[in-house]
Order: sequence, then C-alpha cells, then structure tokens
Amino acid sequence: MPEPSIAESSYAPCITACPVHTDTRELAELVTQGEYEKALELLLEANPFSSVCGRICHHPCEENCRRAKVDAPVGLMKLKRFIIEATRDYRISLMEKMLSLPNRKEKVAVIGSGPSGLTAAYDLAKMGFQVVVFERSKTPGGLLGNAIPRYRLPYAVVKEDIDNILSIGVELITEKTIGRDYTIDDLIKQGFRSVLLATGLSESSTLNIPGIDSKGIFLALPFLKTVLSSRPPVMGKRVVVIGGGNVAIDVARSARRLGAEKVNMVCLESRDEMPAWKWEVEEAREEAISIMNSWGPKAVFSENDEVKGLELKKCISVFGPNGRFNPQFDDSDTATVLADNVIIAIGQRGDLTCVRGSNVKINPGDRLECDPKTLSTSTKGVFTCGELLTGPASSVEAVRDGHRAAKAIAHYLETGDLLIQPLMELPALEELPDETAEKIKKLTPITIELLPAETRLKEFTEIERGFTEKEALEEARRCLACTTGALADEEKCAACLTCVRICPFDVATVEKTAVMPEEKCQACGLCAAECPAAAIALKRFGTNQMKEQLQGLLASIKDKMVIRPLIISYCCLFEVTSRKFISEKSESYKKSGIYRIMIPCIARLSVPDILSPFELGADGLTIIACSEGSCLYPTAEERLLGRIRQAKSVLEEVGVEGERIDYWKTEGSAEVSWTSFWEISRRKLHQIKRIGNKKP
Amino acid sequence: MIVAERKPLNEIKSFVENYKKILIVGCGTCTTVCLAGGETEVKVVASGLRIGFLKEDKEIEILEDCATRQCEPEFVTEIVERVKKEGVEAVLSLGCGVGVNFMADKLETIPVFPGVNTEFFGAAVEPGVWVEMCAGCGNCILHLTGGICPIARCSKSILNGPCGGSKDGKCEISPDVDCGWNLIVERMKKMGTLQRLEEILPPRDWSTSHHGGPRRVIREEIVSLSQEGGESTKAKEAAKEKESGR
Amino acid sequence: MEPKILKSESNLERVLSNGHFAVTVEIGPPMDCNAEIVLEKARLLKGLADAFNITDNQTGVVRLSSIASAVLIISEGLEPVMQMTCRDRNRLAIQSDILGAAALGIRNCLCIVGDHQSFGAAGKMKGHPGAKNVYDIDSIQLVSALKGMRDEGVQQGGDSLEKRPPFFIGAAWTPLGDPIEIRPLRLKKKIEAGADFIQTQGVFDIGEFKKQMKIIVDMGLHECTAILAGIIVPKNLGMLKYMNSSVAGVSIPESLIKRMEQARLKAGDDKKQAKKNQAEEGIRITVELIKQVQEIPGIRGVHIQAIEWEHRVPEILRRAGLIPRPVFPKKGG
Repeated sequence: MPEPSIAESSYAPCITACPVHTDTRELAELVTQGEYEKALELLLEANPFSSVCGRICHHPCEENCRRAKVDAPVGLMKLKRFIIEATRDYRISLMEKMLSLPNRKEKVAVIGSGPSGLTAAYDLAKMGFQVVVFERSKTPGGLLGNAIPRYRLPYAVVKEDIDNILSIGVELITEKTIGRDYTIDDLIKQGFRSVLLATGLSESSTLNIPGIDSKGIFLALPFLKTVLSSRPPVMGKRVVVIGGGNVAIDVARSARRLGAEKVNMVCLESRDEMPAWKWEVEEAREEAISIMNSWGPKAVFSENDEVKGLELKKCISVFGPNGRFNPQFDDSDTATVLADNVIIAIGQRGDLTCVRGSNVKINPGDRLECDPKTLSTSTKGVFTCGELLTGPASSVEAVRDGHRAAKAIAHYLETGDLLIQPLMELPALEELPDETAEKIKKLTPITIELLPAETRLKEFTEIERGFTEKEALEEARRCLACTTGALADEEKCAACLTCVRICPFDVATVEKTAVMPEEKCQACGLCAAECPAAAIALKRFGTNQMKEQLQGLLASIKDKMVIRPLIISYCCLFEVTSRKFISEKSESYKKSGIYRIMIPCIARLSVPDILSPFELGADGLTIIACSEGSCLYPTAEERLLGRIRQAKSVLEEVGVEGERIDYWKTEGSAEVSWTSFWEISRRKLHQIKRIGNKKP
Repeated sequence: MIVAERKPLNEIKSFVENYKKILIVGCGTCTTVCLAGGETEVKVVASGLRIGFLKEDKEIEILEDCATRQCEPEFVTEIVERVKKEGVEAVLSLGCGVGVNFMADKLETIPVFPGVNTEFFGAAVEPGVWVEMCAGCGNCILHLTGGICPIARCSKSILNGPCGGSKDGKCEISPDVDCGWNLIVERMKKMGTLQRLEEILPPRDWSTSHHGGPRRVIREEIVSLSQEGGESTKAKEAAKEKESGR
Repeated sequence: MEPKILKSESNLERVLSNGHFAVTVEIGPPMDCNAEIVLEKARLLKGLADAFNITDNQTGVVRLSSIASAVLIISEGLEPVMQMTCRDRNRLAIQSDILGAAALGIRNCLCIVGDHQSFGAAGKMKGHPGAKNVYDIDSIQLVSALKGMRDEGVQQGGDSLEKRPPFFIGAAWTPLGDPIEIRPLRLKKKIEAGADFIQTQGVFDIGEFKKQMKIIVDMGLHECTAILAGIIVPKNLGMLKYMNSSVAGVSIPESLIKRMEQARLKAGDDKKQAKKNQAEEGIRITVELIKQVQEIPGIRGVHIQAIEWEHRVPEILRRAGLIPRPVFPKKGG
C-alpha cells in the first residue's frame, strides 16, 4: 500500500478512509490545475483498479468527506472516473514505458485474477518478479469480470485495468482450475518460488429448506455469470431474490433487466441493517424492486417440481448480543410470496479445493489457515489475500490486500522471512467544527442524473455517465483541501495578530505565536499574503515560490526575441472550464507577449508577488479574478484590492506608472473575457514606455 | 510598541542610489507588528527599489535580511558580520530609529539609512490604526488620570485639563483627534473618581523626560554579572553616580 | 463703598472692587512691527473701557508681541491686560516676561494655555504649524506661578524675588465647553490657583450660560473672583455659522442665526446693503447680549472681542449704556 505523498500529522479523512489511502485531496487539486496525467499516475500508484473503482467503489472517501458538513461531499469517485476517462491515451503510453522493468529471476504464481490477485501481480511485476496469474474462467477479473452486471460496470472498464496490469509483463493463464488441472505442489515443482492464493469467495452459499431443489431456483454467482454470457437465463414474470447484500441487489436488478416484471427481495435484515449500499438499494427501488425486510425463507413451494413461491417466516433479530450473525425467527408469523424463479443470494464462500494436493492447512471451521498479519498460509511461500483472507470485502479492500500480499511475497523472496504488516491506520483530521462550516460558502454539488428507470431496464448499458471536463473542474473546486492550510513559522512570527484579524473563517489565533488549527483552516491563504513577517506559508500552494516561478518562466524566453509589451497575467485557476485553455492557448498568447500564471485563488498574491513581474522585466501585470460573487473566501477580493493599491503606490513612488497593473474580474467564460482583457492591457502598454532598457 | 511608518520609496531611493551593493534589514519586532518594516516590507522595498533602478538602468545589488530585533547586540552582530563578509556598502534599516542608531554604532564606517519614520509608542486600537498612548516621559502619572496619559494624548500635554478647545470629545487641532482630557473626564466619571480632578497638579519635573538629556536605564544586578570592561563598566559607574544622587 | 485692600496697581481691579460693572475690550496687534496700528486702535478706544486685552499670538499667528503692544497702549494712556500663553514659552521665559512686563508698568495679566500652533495655518495663512510647542506649564499652573511671584515673592522654582510683580491675575473660562460638567470645576481650580478675574469665552446662548452661572453662584465661586462675560461681536452670518460649527465652547442659538439670515435676505441682491444689514444686526445682537449678561447673577463685567472691528466698539458701548467709565485718581489704594 503506498504511503501518502506527504507525511503529515493528520490526513484528510478521504485519504484515511480509503483502504488504499488514495490521496484523493491531491487528485482534486491536480484536476483543478488541469494536471490530469499527474493525477492518473497518483491514482494508479494507489490503485491499479482505478477504472473499476471509479465506477463501483463504495467510496468511503465521500462518506468521510468533511465537506458533507457544509453542503454535500465532493464527488470524489466520479472525479477519479473523470481522471481515467481524460487520460486514456496517456495511460497506454504509460504502460509502454513501464515495460522496461528490471527483471528478477524469481517466479511467483498468483491464483485468481480478481482485484487482489491482480494487484499483487501488478506490484510484483513492477518490482521485477516474473508473475504468472492462473484463472479458472475464460474472463479474468474475478467477480468484476464474471459477476458484476454490466449496467454497473461495463466490461471495457474492467478490461482497461486488467490490460494495464498485464501490459507490464504479467502473464495470464485462463481456464485452468487449481486443485483440478494443477496443484500448488505442481507450481512449486515448476519453479514458482511463491504462490499467492487469491481465489476469493467464488461459490454462492445455498439454503437448506424444503423444496430448494425445485426447478427455477438459481444461486447468485452462477446466475450473474450466465447473465454476462451470450445466453442469459430466461426469467419468469415473478422473481424472488433471497438476500439483502450487494450481490442480491445485482441479482434483483439483473432479473428486472431480463424481463421479470415483479421482483421481490426477501431479506432477514431491517432496512437499516441491510448490508447493501444505500444508494444501490435506492436505485433498486427506482427500478420497482420491492424489498421485504425482516423475513426469512421457510420453504419453497412448487408444482410439478417447478417453483411457485416461497413461504416466509418473520425474522425477529439478525444479530446476537455479540454482534454475530444469529437470526431468530417467529415461526408463527408467516407469509407467502409467489415466484416463477427464486435466486439465492445469501452470501459467498471460498472454494478450498485449491489446496487439494498440497499441505496447506484448512481450519476446522472450513477456512484456510492463515495469518492476517503476514498473509502466510501454513505452508512457507504460500500466501493468501483478498476475500479468502478477509471474508466479504469491497474491491478497494481487495486491492489493499493485493498490495500487502505483494509486499509480503517480495519480502519473503528477498529474506526468506515473513513480514508483519498490520493494517495501517492513518490519523484523520478532526471533524470540521460547526462554527467553521457555517462560514464556508455553499457550493451545489455536480450531480449526474442516472438514466431514467424505464430506459435502464431495457438493457444492460451503463446507467450513469461520467463528469464532463467542465463538471469535473467545478466539482474539484469544491474540495476543502483539508490539511493543506496555513502554517506559521514560530521563529519568524511576531505575534502581530494580523492573521487573527483578517482570517475570514476565524481560524487563526495567537498563543505565543500564530496558530492555525488544521481542522479549521480553509487554506484561503489570506494570512500568508498579509503576514508582515513573511512567517506564514500554505502547506500545499503558497505564492512563496512565485518569484522563482516567474524567474524560470522569463528565463525560458531570455534568448528568444522578447515580444513587447511583455505582460504577466495572474489568473484565477478556478475560472477555467477546460484544460485545453490552460495549455494550448497560452502558447499562442506567449507569442504575443502574454505569460499566464494560474493561481488557485489570486487573493493569495502578496504585495511582493504583485511587484515581482516588474522587477524581473515585465511591462505590465494583468490580474484576473474569478467572476463576480464566485470567490470562495469572504473578504478575499477586498484584501487583494488593498494589496494591489499598495503595489501601485510602490510603483508610483519609484516613478513607474501604477496603471501598469490591471485588475479584472472574469465575465462570462474565461476563454472569451480573458483574451479581451489581455488585449486591452496590451494596447494600453503600447502607449507607455518600457521601464528600463535591459532585457528581462 | 514602537509605531513606525515606511518612508516613501523615492526618499529611500535617494539615500542608496549611489551604492553598488546594499542590504535592507527588517526588524522582526515592533516594525513588523506595525506593518512598517518586517520581512514582507523588506521584500516590498527591495522590489520597489529594483524596479526604480531598472527604470534608470542602474545596477545595484540589493540584499535582504531581517533581524529578530535591531536593538540587541546578539541579533545585530549577525547583520554586521554579513555586511562585512559580503562587502555591503550601505545598509537600509526598516527598524525604528533605535535600530538605525544601534546598527550604525556597530557598523561604524558603513552608513545605515532609515527606511521608516519612527512615530511613537502606541497601541493598535483597531486593525490598521495605531494611536499614541505614551510619551516615555520617565515619570508616570497614569494613576492620577484614570489610566489615560495627558502627556501623550492631550495635544498640549496639560496636567490640569481640559482646555477650552475640547469639542464633542475631539481636540481643537482636528476632529479626527480625540481630546485626551475628555477621555480622562469620561473615564474618571465612570470610575467615580472625577472629584480627584479638583486637585491642582503642580508643574511637573520634566528632567525625567528627554528634557533631562539622553536617558539610560540600568539594572545593576544584571550589569554586575556582565564582564568587566567596555560598556558595562561605564554603565556601572553611571549606576553608582545615579545612586549617589548625581 | 469702602475700597478694599487691592492686590495690584490695576485700574481694572479698582473698578471691580468699587462694585462697578467692568468693561474690557480686546485689541489685536498687527502681524508686523507697525506700532501705529496699535496706537491708532488705542486712540479710538481710549476711555471707553476699563482695560484692554492685548492678545498673545492669538490663534497661533505671529503678531507684534503682547508686552510691546501693551507698552504702546500705556503710552496712549490705556490700561492693558497682557495675555500670556503657555504655548510659546517655558516657565523660564514666562516668568522673565512677567517680570519685564511688570517693570514696564503692565498691571493685568491674563493667563491662558493658548491655541495650538496648528491653528495658524487657516485660509490663506500659512502660519507655523510645524513649530515645536512648549506647554511646559498649563494655564492653571501659570496662574499659580504668577500668584506665587506676587503674593509669596518666589519664582515657580522656589527662588525668591525681592521686588514682586504687582499683577491683577486673570484667567479664561469656557463655560459651555465640552465636557460641560467639568467646567465649573475648572473655574474652581483657576480661582484656587489665584485668578482674580475671569474672562469667559464668547457667550451667545444666554439660556445655557445662565444655567452654568447658576451652578457657579451656588458654589459661591462668583464671590471669589470677578467674572466678565465674553462678548464676541458677530459681523455677519458666515462668522456666526463658522463659530457655531468650529469654535470650541461656542454654540449659537438658531434664533440668532435666523435673525442674521433675515438681515441678509432683506437686502435682496444688493451685496453692499446685505453687508451693512448684517453689521447692524450684529451690533444689535451684541448690545442685547451685553444687556442680558448684565442681568445674570455673578456677572461683574463684559469682555468685548470685536476682531479686526475695533472701530465699531464705541457705538456698541454707547448703545449698551456702558459709557462713560468710572475714573479714579492716579496712584490710589
């Protein structure tokens, strides 16, 4: 599992909640900057199943997003999907680059090509090991490839991730079943130094009730697999699905798409206890699927061995006092539900035939004997990961264990020892205090309408589209940039209280020196820009390096012919609606002497930042703010205007025209209005003599 | 705190324009807090001067630094060393007048120019507004005037005010200036001590103020701990002199 | 009435101690060294008042000095009230000037703190707003110092004087200045310090002034000093309005402003007539004010300030019935 990019005392909860600690906050920032490629690299570093997780992740990042307290969480999962979709070509070129990996002689066999197995394979291959993945099905991906319905996860998406993984040199052998076609011992004999069992929970559990053998009754996983095949099962009018988990929902919704008119889900749990994700339950309801909560199956009744319905008994409680699954029923309270088909989706279990013919031990409880800290089975060199290790889990958790398995195996192959890897918990940033939340500007989240239920029921096409670029940029802007706020240098701080007085969120306090509590700071940067001791910096984006950045920019054109007037333009990054505008057009503007520096909130510019361009040889400075009323930070604009006035008076004091500094607010689209602002500045500066005769 | 205000850059520029290498030194204490001469202002002044010199095609190297306090030998030594090591020809101090004096004393032959005008001892009554509250007169009488200093806050520094120029709580010199004696009266009224103003305060002894000549404060127990020789010995002698009643 | 033992050799003191309603008139020295201007004003006003105040660089404007001007009017047979401010002199210079003034025959001294030097820059006047002021001692301390010199024969610092300056000591009082509740206390302090007479800031609001005087009388202060009510002669509407808005301690009732307005309006577009009308109304108001303050218990005289309008003073005094002034044989008491 990759470490977060910056070591911090506490982390944004979107990062800590993510099983693979994806630096989601950084992703939002990179999207804002139009750095989609960098975002992709960061994403893949954490999660090779990013395409998949951009669609079906249970997104604990969003569940824990601190923005929820202000309005609604940031649509982080869809931002990830956007990154993937915006960088398809780049991803392919990345894969090509990664082929030239150092080779190591050790061979590793990975059994099972689900997200955990393939993640481990990917990591090991990146480390230079020779990895072969064995898959019993024709299609790799485990449940992703063989169970999850396509309306949720098109296969092309799964393939994107898998192709990526395979492209770096992972070998895949399909339609070979362990324990039947070959054994662990065979692999060891063939020279595999380590074997990773990642076969998951591939078998559906069944029920032991009267009539369960009747025709028209299916188990969930075989059912879903058939749904994906070229010959999907034919459904009767009435279908009953037993179970309340995510698989049950998949089954129910698939049944609807296969023509079942009335689908009833029967589950032991109450509505609140249902293990399925809430949004899945909601979408199922939209598709006219009824859910009968707190009922358990008592018997199947059939006619001529054909299922006709299900007798139910009331479930009083699902869990025992210790929280364990221990359902209690009231046998006197019964009901019946008619059904042409019954599909059992009450859970999955592992297929332990994989260890057949080896000395890998199985527990009396019919589970693989393994150490959750070292991921080792009872046999040295044989490891396990994924659901076989953890029990039912989400894809992203599978990815996490894949990373851990790769580490464990690499360590083993290098040292012969087991690596103890407890699950890493990162300290999360405290909750957003109410008084701070109140001061934060509310921004309506970008929501993507699902296809209408009647349309989506007609086929298995994906029901939700991804963000457009404009939407992604807008949504990324909603990120509160947790933990990237202001930090005061105790050595320099004079406790002057300027920060305390100007902080629009009442965050800063002065104890002995200034303190900006992380859980409150909104990283607006006003205090950093106004600090008279230059003691405050933003942890992520400050303007402290602005001068160096300008120097670099101007140095890059030093030897070329400099177009005059030379204008530096500080522009509010948040106004940009397409990355094309940041990259492509700036080239053409450079040719006309306009150099653009995009800043996430130009209110962060200090007086020295405003003066620097002139010092470095620019003729003019055009500052372009976001459009009226769109600034995220109260008072930011007036503060900036004050600093611009100050800078102008400094210029005037040394005999340089203050009118060389222009300030504009974006009107309408940046693409249109900015170019006209630049044109105005350019024309004006044509009338004014250059500041000196030297070249920048 | 000592309150200062940066000098206009054209004036500053005229001080330093004939040198090739100058060092601008901010002060991390009072002038930082009153936004006149902290590290950020050093950057602003440096930037402004560079732009001004660029305009005149002058090549002057401008270095930037900031002392924690320009009024302490330990902090100033670092600056002095840098000046000597790097061949700085002139220093522009953004500290108060004390800093300028003190650095000039230490630098001897290298000129130190004042980059700020030192104004007064004051308080920040609201962000961006500082008001004079103490005149440093060496003989505090605030216990007699409700905690409001007539020396610093009355335009005429009178001890038996208010004069006839008080109007609507403001001083006769400007409607922007509070009448110090009006403040005193209002405060003492609130405190229920107004009758104390019946007493005529006699002419005061200004010898404790600057009128008595340049002043010094000596903490003998600290002085005696310092090494013998130089300033400390002189200080000790002065302390003895003071004790013996001049 | 049996004359009391006098403190000084002042005519003003004698007038007051004989129970007369005293009249003092202000004379402003010129901004150059033209003695003739002072002398001319002296000739114009001779015999019309008991003493004549000579201002001391009034409003922070450099003028012919008050000592010199005072000596000039003595030469014309008038008795001066030398004004002495604390703005321009420290205690050394003040005492030195007082001794000099006494030696030159000046017998009245009005002790005032003095307008701030920033006043000198007004209208077209540049003044000396950048001057360093002194204010070593304040007006109360000055009264006290002067009393010490006269009655104890000591300088403020404690050194003794062989010959004491025989001054009748005056102080100014702004009865309606802010904060108003402190004003009686201020008067009390001035009296305690040694003020023999008081000249007040110009009074227009008779009602308010009466109230304040009632307090003074209740405190018994009127018996400890002689209070002369200040009367400023309003020349026109502009001056009234300016004083109302800008001069501390002066508030002008709306009715007086209306009267002046009416006087101006009556002349229509005739500017010359308007000026004349306003001047006449101003004098009428002045005379009324004098008569009104005469009726207020505790008021023992008037101090008339006709700024650069001294030539209208005779008419005012005549109409107010304050002429002729009492005359005493020289070297009495």
